[in-house]
Amino acid sequence: MEAFFLAGPSGRGFCLLHEPAPGGEVQGAILYLHPFAEEMNKSRRMAGLQARALARTGWFVLQVDLHGCGDSDGDFADATWERWISDAHHAADWLRRRSGFAPALWGLRAGCLLAVAVAPWLEWPADLVFWQPVSSGKQHLQQFLRLHLAGALLGAKDDAAQPAGDGTRGLREQLDGGDAIEIAGYSLSPGLALGLDAARLAPPAGSARLFWLEVCAGETVELSPVARLAIQTWEAAGWRVSAAAIAGASFWQTVEIEDLPGLIEATTELLGRVA
Amino acid sequence: MDAQRETLKILDEVLNLGGRSGGMSAASPLLGAIPELDSMAVIAILATLEERFGFAIEDDEVDGSVFATVGSLAAFLAGKLDGFGFSAAP
Repeated sequence: MEAFFLAGPSGRGFCLLHEPAPGGEVQGAILYLHPFAEEMNKSRRMAGLQARALARTGWFVLQVDLHGCGDSDGDFADATWERWISDAHHAADWLRRRSGFAPALWGLRAGCLLAVAVAPWLEWPADLVFWQPVSSGKQHLQQFLRLHLAGALLGAKDDAAQPAGDGTRGLREQLDGGDAIEIAGYSLSPGLALGLDAARLAPPAGSARLFWLEVCAGETVELSPVARLAIQTWEAAGWRVSAAAIAGASFWQTVEIEDLPGLIEATTELLGRVA
Repeated sequence: MDAQRETLKILDEVLNLGGRSGGMSAASPLLGAIPELDSMAVIAILATLEERFGFAIEDDEVDGSVFATVGSLAAFLAGKLDGFGFSAAP
């Protein structure tokens, strides 16, 4: 594994490149796009484990920290959705030159929204790998804003720090008015929030292959109702979809860092089957 | 879709009840009766409902009464599902 800074359109992006073992057969290349805010930190370990597992089976895997995230240049407050699209585009082009393969895009959570936003800019029809995709940026933003209101939502009286009565709608108005807001230690700019808000998990033009993997707790392991509907839409748009539900905990948000070897095995297997 | 069954499944998942939801009925009290159900857990349940079914929940749709019992939460879910094209049995 090689760690380096990739000079890009908005400063230096911190990258980890995992290369296939020398001498083995090379399957292709994949760019990993991380999730939003705290979910990125929670999922760092799983992303690293999956990247290494793929490299062992012949894939080039590039992980890049987007602008203002992780070890990359800039503050989170300076990040915008457009800037992230351009970071991801730049990283995908670099990975193509380095590996000689047209990279697939692998997203986790909001990273899937970013993958869909980047795909139309690439010069090749990129295969997509979704881990627990966020289906609507608007919903994801709303959930992030709601963190601010955990107590106020139920009229809890023990949390005097909560703003009285302005709810997520008040926060939305601040963003719409061009002001940044502070949530859970993150300074969220209107340029990031409103870009995320408009992002949808709709199939981009130029159909390729889609691998959809969901994690599911509880006794019955099955795709969520919303995933089943979405997959029909992607198939109708000409995408060849392979989907799997894996039993396990929501590692991108659990308090304890969780490993989910079943997800890594399933992903490696699905990708290996078509390479 | 069975709204009460979905509700119990989500409660079990989010609150880590380890199957305890199996012994609950519509009349089982939630808020104040289940120690795991704090404000962050309420946020997590709302997020899980939204992501699992694809609808959005506005702040003013939710107050403590929604989380009073299993039945009140299931009724809330059934109402949302009806408005969203899933056929729901409350």
